[in-house]
Amino acid sequence: MIHADHLHKEYADLRRGKLVALGDVSFSANAGEIFGLLGPNGAGKTTALRIISTMLRPSSGMVTVNGYDVVTQPSEVRHQIGFVSVNTGVYDRMTAWEMVEYFGRLFRLKEDLLRERMESLFTRLKMNDIRDVLGAKMSTGMKQKVSVARALVHDPPVLIFDEATNGLDVLAARALLETVAELRSNGKCVIFSTHIMREAEKLCDRIAIMHRGHILTCGTLNELRATHPDDDLEELFFHLISEHDAEFPETVAS
Amino acid sequence: MNWSNVRLIFQREVRDQLRDRRTLFMIAVLPVVLYPMLGMSMFQVAQFVREQATKVLVVGEWRTPDEPALFEENHFAGRWYDKPSNSRLLELDFLPEDKLAEGEANVEAQRAGWRQAIDQGRYDAVLVFPPDFAEKLTELRKTLDGERPKELEKIRRINIPKPEILYSSTSEKSQITEDRIEAVLGRWNAEMGRENLALGHLPENVAQPFVPKREDLAVEGHRDARLWSTVLPFLLLIWALTGAFYPAVDICAGEKERGTLETLLCSPAERIEIVWGKLLTVMLFSMTTAVLNLISMGMTGSFVLSQLPKFGPPPPLAPIWLLVALVPVSAMFSALCLALAAFARSSKEGQYYLMPLVLVTLPLVMLPMAPGVDLNLGNSLIPVTGIVLLLRAMLEGNYQQALIFGPPVIVVTLACCLLAIRWAVDQFNSESVLFRESERFDLKLWLRQLMNDREDTPTVAGAFFCGVLILLIRFFMGFALPQPNSFGELARLTVVTQLVVVATPALLMAIMLTRSVRKTLLLRLPAGGSLASSLVSLVAAVLLAFCVFPAVGWFGVLVEQLYPLSPAVKESLDGMLKGTPDLLTLILVMAVAPAICEELAFRGFMLSGFRHMGHKWRAIVLSSLFFGVTHAIFQQSIVTFFIGMVIGYVAVQTSSLFPCMLYHVTHNSLTVLTSRVNDATLADYPALNYLLAKSPDGTGMMCNWQITLVAGAAAVVLFLWFRQLPYAKSPEEALQEAIEQHASHAPT
Repeated sequence: MIHADHLHKEYADLRRGKLVALGDVSFSANAGEIFGLLGPNGAGKTTALRIISTMLRPSSGMVTVNGYDVVTQPSEVRHQIGFVSVNTGVYDRMTAWEMVEYFGRLFRLKEDLLRERMESLFTRLKMNDIRDVLGAKMSTGMKQKVSVARALVHDPPVLIFDEATNGLDVLAARALLETVAELRSNGKCVIFSTHIMREAEKLCDRIAIMHRGHILTCGTLNELRATHPDDDLEELFFHLISEHDAEFPETVAS
Repeated sequence: MNWSNVRLIFQREVRDQLRDRRTLFMIAVLPVVLYPMLGMSMFQVAQFVREQATKVLVVGEWRTPDEPALFEENHFAGRWYDKPSNSRLLELDFLPEDKLAEGEANVEAQRAGWRQAIDQGRYDAVLVFPPDFAEKLTELRKTLDGERPKELEKIRRINIPKPEILYSSTSEKSQITEDRIEAVLGRWNAEMGRENLALGHLPENVAQPFVPKREDLAVEGHRDARLWSTVLPFLLLIWALTGAFYPAVDICAGEKERGTLETLLCSPAERIEIVWGKLLTVMLFSMTTAVLNLISMGMTGSFVLSQLPKFGPPPPLAPIWLLVALVPVSAMFSALCLALAAFARSSKEGQYYLMPLVLVTLPLVMLPMAPGVDLNLGNSLIPVTGIVLLLRAMLEGNYQQALIFGPPVIVVTLACCLLAIRWAVDQFNSESVLFRESERFDLKLWLRQLMNDREDTPTVAGAFFCGVLILLIRFFMGFALPQPNSFGELARLTVVTQLVVVATPALLMAIMLTRSVRKTLLLRLPAGGSLASSLVSLVAAVLLAFCVFPAVGWFGVLVEQLYPLSPAVKESLDGMLKGTPDLLTLILVMAVAPAICEELAFRGFMLSGFRHMGHKWRAIVLSSLFFGVTHAIFQQSIVTFFIGMVIGYVAVQTSSLFPCMLYHVTHNSLTVLTSRVNDATLADYPALNYLLAKSPDGTGMMCNWQITLVAGAAAVVLFLWFRQLPYAKSPEEALQEAIEQHASHAPT
């Protein structure tokens, strides 16, 4: 479904000069799988996801989504993905219903199909009571539900969740994770980025640990645990990061 | 582009804006309330200032003659006003004679006291009648009396002391008081003059043989139109700009701030569709704001001006012309605002960009208000100014003039619109703009990183910086260096300027900010690489310069006719080449030095940097803009901009600076040579008559039209030859080309 090959991205930063956000990152994620991108803030997770969703262009390397190239076929790629970001992206002056309907129309769904999908999504995500609530009046949990409904309205084969549980209370976060798990069972390819170990441990089929623009390790939870004596993902995470910082101090300074 | 996506985005944005109270207040409530309130305040302020009585201290009223009497009870007599009832407007206090006598011991202190009284607002003016004023006036009248013989010499010797009006121009009230007193004294003085003439048995027309008769031929409607044609276009443009700005900030910077832009960017809507959807929204609000303001202002203005006898309502066709002009004006301002707003990280930051935009636009809107600025071809080509002048002509009913100059105004306005829209689309395609994050700027760290992270060629920002630096140094050096008086001084100044101002910054920046000076400055053989193909490119560049030169001459003439050079500038330009030594020195100074230095800077450093934008023509235009602006005289800048475009194209197609330098040397040498040709030269070399003709103003020589046509055709062939050269693309140009190629082959 998603193949990232030697992905490299650098920015010109006013304060720090040239900044390498991603350095030679390669991974792939398949249908019916939740692929976790686990890393601290500034690891490059959002940059990688923005490249996959065609918002950014890679400096070099290649990414394909369902066979479409993100640089030369961005329009086709956008039809394949649903993107749920950390800041929910809900319009303050639109109701939940209007917002989902708007994106459904942008995806050119037929009117009947759109109604059917929306009714089903609003019921499935328990959003019927917030249909006519304006974005500005919603709680973060409600907003994230709208965001998920908006990402699912065109039934894309690939879903990207970028730190989507940030700022959610325990109940809302659990509901979201259940939705993500359900998507996997429906055969979707899900990329789930987080910095919370427990979420990654519970949810992801395969995990890539990222730090300072590099993938330090990648594999199933069992494969990762096997590489560390403590059999604990958090310990492994700290160990890998300390090892990387010790090996490349200059990247730490930048 | 999918217009159904544009419509969807447009509908959403409009609904979003209509749910925003701030926007509604700006576009609907403010205009409806603003003008009636302003009208009412203006009435009240005018009443307050004009009708309020002001206080005057009169010193020495006993020194005025009894006939004709200036005072009546405690006021100036009603007959000295245009309306007798106005006598209440000047309240008079009379300084008692004994107090004046006390003060006259120290005249300075007394005057200081009066000044203080005006400064503190106790009086608005002090009117002082000098001693002997009445006596001298009486003496004059007696001398004139018909009973006595006329004693002209005696009359001439009677020196009447002048009354004084003390006031302060810093206070408007005091200034008004002074005007009122002067009007009263003027009428009193005129009456005394008439009486004196009667005493001397002379008719009134001795002193004033004639009074010119004035007749205003303006048709009443046209006179009203004059006022409206000044006010309405100004308001239209200002409100179109203001109305565009706030929605633009909200739907771009605001959307970034709220995080919704990211959601939209990964929807199926293309960037260009997003821009068009937003642009149409901003345009709608810009137009609505302008229309509502004009309606409200028109209604209030009509009511206010109807109180004044001389003014009437706006011309009946005004709404139609204003609406027609509003569409392109709103489109242009909306696109500009959208591009600026896209750059802002937050709504607050977006607000800061309003002032620079207004500062750039306002002079163009105000220019037509300057006396003598009329709709002509030159002015019609100035963005914004042209459309204001065209509107003025339409509102005044000068349809013939509008018909002649309308097309250039429309072309320029549409071109500006397209450029602004293009800029807005580019902003939305730029990652550094859309995902710009707030960061503290550390100059030291940035400079260090700039040196460490150098690329082979400069960045776009580096190229901009180089251009701005050259302009700034040139601007300040213009003040620091003396004006050349001879060719020797001019030669020194030219060479020093070229070396210090143009070449040095580019060379230093190339060394410090790039990894490859050779690649940056295109110091390599022209495309092809082999000696033979390089030689062909060099010869082709020289031939192109020969072929383009005649057309450049005619273009220069056209520019000078549109925007005539002031006589002072022309004289100074002509004077520069006086005392010119031999031709070789002239060519070295005027052709070779600029060719080397300017090419290093503009086609070398800057063009290489601008090519990182991914569009070769954009890079050529930008480097040519800097090249043009560096030539200080406006008319010269326009011509050099186009020459810069030609040389820039040669630089891109050959990937070498040497053909550019040769082109530049050839062009400048031809200019120098043509300037040396005069009637004597033509007589010595009759063959030149087949090539050259006198310029239309008769001051110089230029290629005749037959040669220009032939050379133009040859230039087209040469351009086609350069076009087929396999030029080296920058990585960004190659990527852009790949995307465009894919887009053109993608199934729809």
